[in-house]
Amino acid sequence: MTPLVSFRNVSCRLGGKDVLRELSLDIEAGETLVLLGRSGSGKTTALKMVNALLLPSAGEVRVEGTPTAAWDAIRLRRRIGYVIQEAGLFPHFTVEQNVGLVPRLEGWPAEKIRARVHALLEQVELPPAQFAARYPRELSGGQRQRVGVARALAADPPLLLFDEPFGALDPVTRVELQRQFLALRREIGKTAIFVTHDVREALLIATRIALLHDGRLDVLATPAEFLRAPGEEVRAFLACLDPQGIPA
Amino acid sequence: MTLALWNEIVELTVEHVVLVATSMAIATAVALPAGILLTRRAPLQRWVMGFANIMQTVPSLALFGFLIPVPLLGGIGKHTAIVALVLYALLPVLRNTLAGILGVDRAVRESAIAMGMTGRQLLWEVELPLAARTILAGVRVATVATIGTATIAAAIGGGGLGVFIFQGLASVDTAQILAGAVPAAFLALLADGGLGWAEKKLSPA
Repeated sequence: MTPLVSFRNVSCRLGGKDVLRELSLDIEAGETLVLLGRSGSGKTTALKMVNALLLPSAGEVRVEGTPTAAWDAIRLRRRIGYVIQEAGLFPHFTVEQNVGLVPRLEGWPAEKIRARVHALLEQVELPPAQFAARYPRELSGGQRQRVGVARALAADPPLLLFDEPFGALDPVTRVELQRQFLALRREIGKTAIFVTHDVREALLIATRIALLHDGRLDVLATPAEFLRAPGEEVRAFLACLDPQGIPA
Repeated sequence: MTLALWNEIVELTVEHVVLVATSMAIATAVALPAGILLTRRAPLQRWVMGFANIMQTVPSLALFGFLIPVPLLGGIGKHTAIVALVLYALLPVLRNTLAGILGVDRAVRESAIAMGMTGRQLLWEVELPLAARTILAGVRVATVATIGTATIAAAIGGGGLGVFIFQGLASVDTAQILAGAVPAAFLALLADGGLGWAEKKLSPA
């Protein structure tokens, strides 16, 4: 079976800098691959190549077997859910309009969109009666992020991309949303690529972790393997779990 | 106040409003699409904004004068006045269109593209609605300024309330100057209030 997403010797130069170097990586259907790394390690760049927000300078990224450069970018993007930090909700749309956006672009009938939006809002625990008519500015950070997730799921895409979605949330809300993410994944079993710099988050939600360092793939491992993996960068990240000198 | 004077005030006020409305309609019709285009062509921004800035620094009386000998655009009369007023009104509308669209949150724009919006959908559904208030603020500033500048149009036979002001200046008749200046000031306040209200009505982002 062809992998859902496949990076083949992908390099990317942005503004004269090699952000990504010869990345090769397959993502199988059903898994949650976490791209872990420091700021500037290339993880967000790699993510944006999947929905053709960026194209490789060399090599190719294949989605469902077809290189992203050969996809109609609009078609490709409507098949991929995308969630970013601070959610990127449209401030002039209500929650209902935000969540229903891709189905509307896809020309679904109004009744079907409405039913879908309401089901999704229930799923992310935002009762539609209370939240559907609100504007993003009337929501808390955690609620906005859940709307972002519902919006990404709206047209039932086979693949979801997350770019540090919980990065700007307070620690308590963050843990809540991570739990919800896991519950949602058990429920709907979608493939996800998830960017984070938080090793704790990576170990919690990943089926596999790809550690990027200076634009290169450093380690590719399951969470259990990752804990025992050799290498300086792995150790640097694992050290965050147990900072010396700070009592637990 | 005689009835004849009263009628003349009304007549010239209407003329003034038509002059301003025509100029603003043309200026907006040019500057809005130009501003949108400029957001897609970054290297052009400096040149076009530079031109619009220079137009703004030319003293209005001089600009009206310069236009008189220009073929097609120039001469004596209303259309020359309109050309000059349009040149003045371009900058605020252009600048605010640019600022409004470029000011749309990067994350919002990126999500719109990542959701699979086409360029046209991005413009009509995201960029223009979110920039609408800023753009309208530019139209408001330009309209109020044009109402003032349009009084000078009378110097080249453009008509409007400036007719009173120039006559009054020539005959040292303060009452006649006021007959032009007071209605012009009222028009400016009215336009400012009306467009300001419309600005607030637009969905706050």
